[in-house]
Amino acid sequence: MNILTMLWNNLRGGSRTMLFPARPKETKGFRGLVRFDPALCTGCAICKMRCTSRAIEFKTGKGIFTWSYDPGQCTFCGRCVEGCKTHALSQDAECPPVYTTIGELKQSYDVVRKPTPKPAAATTQAAAAAPAPAANPAPGGAQ
Amino acid sequence: MNLTTALARLLIFPGLLFAVPAAWFFLWAERKAVALMQGRIGPPFMQPFYDFIKLLGKSTPPRGGIAGMLMKLWPLLAVSAAAGAVGLLPVLPSSGGFEGDLILLLALLELPSMCIIAAGFSSRSIFGEIGSAREAVLSVAYNVVFLLAIVSIAASQHTFRLEALAQLPASPLRWLGVIAILICLPAKLHINPFSLPNAEQEIYSGPMTEYAGPELAMWELSHGLEWVAATGLVATLAAPYIGIWWLAILVFLALSCLVVLLLSVVAAATARLAIDTTVRFYWQVTLIFAVLAVSSALFMRLRS
Repeated sequence: MNILTMLWNNLRGGSRTMLFPARPKETKGFRGLVRFDPALCTGCAICKMRCTSRAIEFKTGKGIFTWSYDPGQCTFCGRCVEGCKTHALSQDAECPPVYTTIGELKQSYDVVRKPTPKPAAATTQAAAAAPAPAANPAPGGAQ
Repeated sequence: MNLTTALARLLIFPGLLFAVPAAWFFLWAERKAVALMQGRIGPPFMQPFYDFIKLLGKSTPPRGGIAGMLMKLWPLLAVSAAAGAVGLLPVLPSSGGFEGDLILLLALLELPSMCIIAAGFSSRSIFGEIGSAREAVLSVAYNVVFLLAIVSIAASQHTFRLEALAQLPASPLRWLGVIAILICLPAKLHINPFSLPNAEQEIYSGPMTEYAGPELAMWELSHGLEWVAATGLVATLAAPYIGIWWLAILVFLALSCLVVLLLSVVAAATARLAIDTTVRFYWQVTLIFAVLAVSSALFMRLRS
């Protein structure tokens, strides 16, 4: 008759359903809104590739790129944060706010692309950094 | 019972004018009671009515041929049978009735179940067919007990007339019969632990899977009317005879609500049983009980 005691307690305790604007407390490690730090972003667009819900958009222009994120479309899987090598993306425990129109929560950032070293200069630098080839290669090494 | 009385009983009280709002109220009461016992809020008071109106406004996919026509026919037949069953209940004192109306009531109570079986097979959906097969097996299992209980009541009181049964003082055998009917009601109304034919998590809605719009609205209504008829039958058999009409109605309503609450507690407290367990329950446990009631009734009749 344990079930009857449970039913009686439920009846006495009232419903545990939360009415709409109220939300349950976030637990530790809860995956919520994705935060973006433009200063750390290199514009590699890996986050866009990893985003299966298409919440992240990435547009490139001349010397500038636009990174946008729609929390209304996001499933909070965290794959974009995992894939971000420069740690420009992080995830808060915060839930997205209540919204009424599609795309209302969308955030866009125009980020100026940081100058990258030219390929020629890069090869010179790489050559300088590499150890000098041995004058006498080991016998049998190049035949 | 003359034609005017019969029409008044069928259309006004306890027929359609009373039974349709009562059906919505009982559907709401059952859902709300189960929700409260499970720590949920439950539907608002008008929800069954809103559901009905909303379904009436929807269109149904076109279905041609005989199967399409039959699919339209079954819910209408079920509603008519259930409304007729409610109309036969002797709620008001000296409201008429005829010898054998208990048998007609049983037949009308059984008709919606048969319509459900036929509807599932007419829909040609695999889920509908499974649901119908389950309903058929369930119907065979609980009806033996249900009919034996009714026969034991009728045999102990020497009449098949509902009004006479309602007026006679209840004997201990009649209480045995009422308890047997109460055990059959969860299966008849497809609620836990015997909600096999419309097991949502397994076979969607069973025979109702392919139904939509006004036809589904009619099924919902027939289900509500079945609630009124089945709980009303128990209330009629359990209520003491009262000569004042308004008090008789109040007692009828109070007893019906009590039965609804009791069934809701059973539904909330139990999980769905498998078909073999259900059949075993009715054939092994309750059948002995019902046979005992019938044999006692017949024995008493032979002695008197």
